[in-house]
Amino acid sequence: MAFFLETLIGGLMAGMLYSLVALGFVLIYKASGVFNFAQGAMVLFAALAMARFSEWIGGALGGDNLILANILAFLVAGVVMFIVAWIIERLVLRNLVNQEGATLLMATLGIAYVLEGVGQTLFGSEIYKIDVGMPKDPVMMLESVFEGGILINKEDFIAALIAAVLVALLWLFFQKTSTGRALRAVADDHQAALSIGIPLNRIWVIVWCVAGVAALVAGVIWGSKLGVQFSLATVALRALPVVILGGLTSVPGAIIGGLIIGVGEKLSEVYIGPMVGGGIEIWFAYMLALVFLLFRPQGLFGEKIIDRV
Amino acid sequence: MSKQIGDVILDLQNISLRFGGVKALTDISFDVREHEVRAIIGPNGAGKSSMLNVINGVYHPQEGKILFRGEERQKMEPHRAAAQGISRTFQNIALFKGMSVLDNIMTGRNLKIKSNLLMQAIWWGPARNEELAHRAKVEEIIDFLEIQHIRKTPVGRLPYGLQKRVDLGRALAMEPKVLLLDEPMAGMNVEEKQDMCRFILDVNDQFGTTIVLIEHDMGVVMDISDRVVVLDYGKKIGDGIPDEVRSSPEVIKAYLGAGH
Repeated sequence: MAFFLETLIGGLMAGMLYSLVALGFVLIYKASGVFNFAQGAMVLFAALAMARFSEWIGGALGGDNLILANILAFLVAGVVMFIVAWIIERLVLRNLVNQEGATLLMATLGIAYVLEGVGQTLFGSEIYKIDVGMPKDPVMMLESVFEGGILINKEDFIAALIAAVLVALLWLFFQKTSTGRALRAVADDHQAALSIGIPLNRIWVIVWCVAGVAALVAGVIWGSKLGVQFSLATVALRALPVVILGGLTSVPGAIIGGLIIGVGEKLSEVYIGPMVGGGIEIWFAYMLALVFLLFRPQGLFGEKIIDRV
Repeated sequence: MSKQIGDVILDLQNISLRFGGVKALTDISFDVREHEVRAIIGPNGAGKSSMLNVINGVYHPQEGKILFRGEERQKMEPHRAAAQGISRTFQNIALFKGMSVLDNIMTGRNLKIKSNLLMQAIWWGPARNEELAHRAKVEEIIDFLEIQHIRKTPVGRLPYGLQKRVDLGRALAMEPKVLLLDEPMAGMNVEEKQDMCRFILDVNDQFGTTIVLIEHDMGVVMDISDRVVVLDYGKKIGDGIPDEVRSSPEVIKAYLGAGH
């Protein structure tokens, strides 16, 4: 039982991180109908910015104030993501209004390569580490309930907490503010949104910005766990099944989809893995996504697509 | 009718609009006076919707001038037009289908909300009062349009006639100077049409809103408009009070064909 719980919790924590990346996809899809292939590149770019700025700012401050350096680096990286969002809207999206979905998809693919390239030109292509001072040592919990207790990684726990806070903030933003309402309006109907005075261009900058911040948070957490390197961009591929499962248009869907896939991966690896020779973790999510595509293409919480004939 | 028609609020001078080689509008001039109900009618493909889209800023005419409240405007975008007090409804309803009736109408207040994001998010003091004030205004509109019973329903689930009403509600929430209605009665049954006519006249009467409306159905238009412009093949063929327009031989010809 304790082992099962440990696996389950481990899966939930991993799932929370998938959710963070998936959120970026959902935000942009919701507000502009674009499936943003560059989300992974944005995570990489944000993590690179964060790693290098904290290094540079830390060096300038004398290296003894880790927290201040990290906070400053986070803010600067946030500004960098804002500039990226602004440039993307200016140079790419603005010129592609009313184009086919496939055109926009290809455009984001292009953005992905440019971001990866520019990111490495600006910030270097080595492996960097982000040290935000998260405790790495695992703790034992519930020792009185189970023999030996449950081993929980403190770092994972904090990361999950941060992800949860971010999700709560996004929910408040979308549901309670007039800008959030404007975003939902733009997602539903461009023409009508314009007619009530919502400026499309500004809304797009805001959305890419929010997605950029989500990418930054995901990048910092993944980066501090695994180090910042090129392979971070492929994290996005792991989040693809999450959005298929949760539904492309649903913020809660991204969260719950992430959790299901995180847990499913770990449990299947541990319990089914030995029977078939292991390696399930790698393809489990895609299998699940495939099943969903066959039987429920709109995902768990997505809007059902009904075509009027 | 006791209402006072005011000065010219919207003046269109020699408007021509082309899409490539297709002439949608050719040299059209007319004006709209404050507090009046001004109709634009014409057979299919006459350029009525293009005209509305020119006023709204969706299309930019190649030639001609548009004066709104005495000021000439250049290449105005729709969201700027909205900020200046021009709101509209759509022929093929363009509501935010996933949102409730209340939220849809509330989006019409978006431009008027002044408090900042952070305060709104934490639902704090002034931001909260502001939101409540806007809500009160929206509730007023909901009462006015007699749609209290569906306030919380997602608009995607409503029947066509009610969706049209919500569309009108959202436009009204902006408290526009000029309200553009794109075929407000299209596809409605007689009873729904009567309701819609009543709402349009009440809006005009109670709020003093200037209304420009496009309609296909001549009969309805003649009953509720103060003045009517008639378009045919992108050209103006009539302009005046309903009785004048109705008896103009050119208008009759356009509607019924030659030989009548």
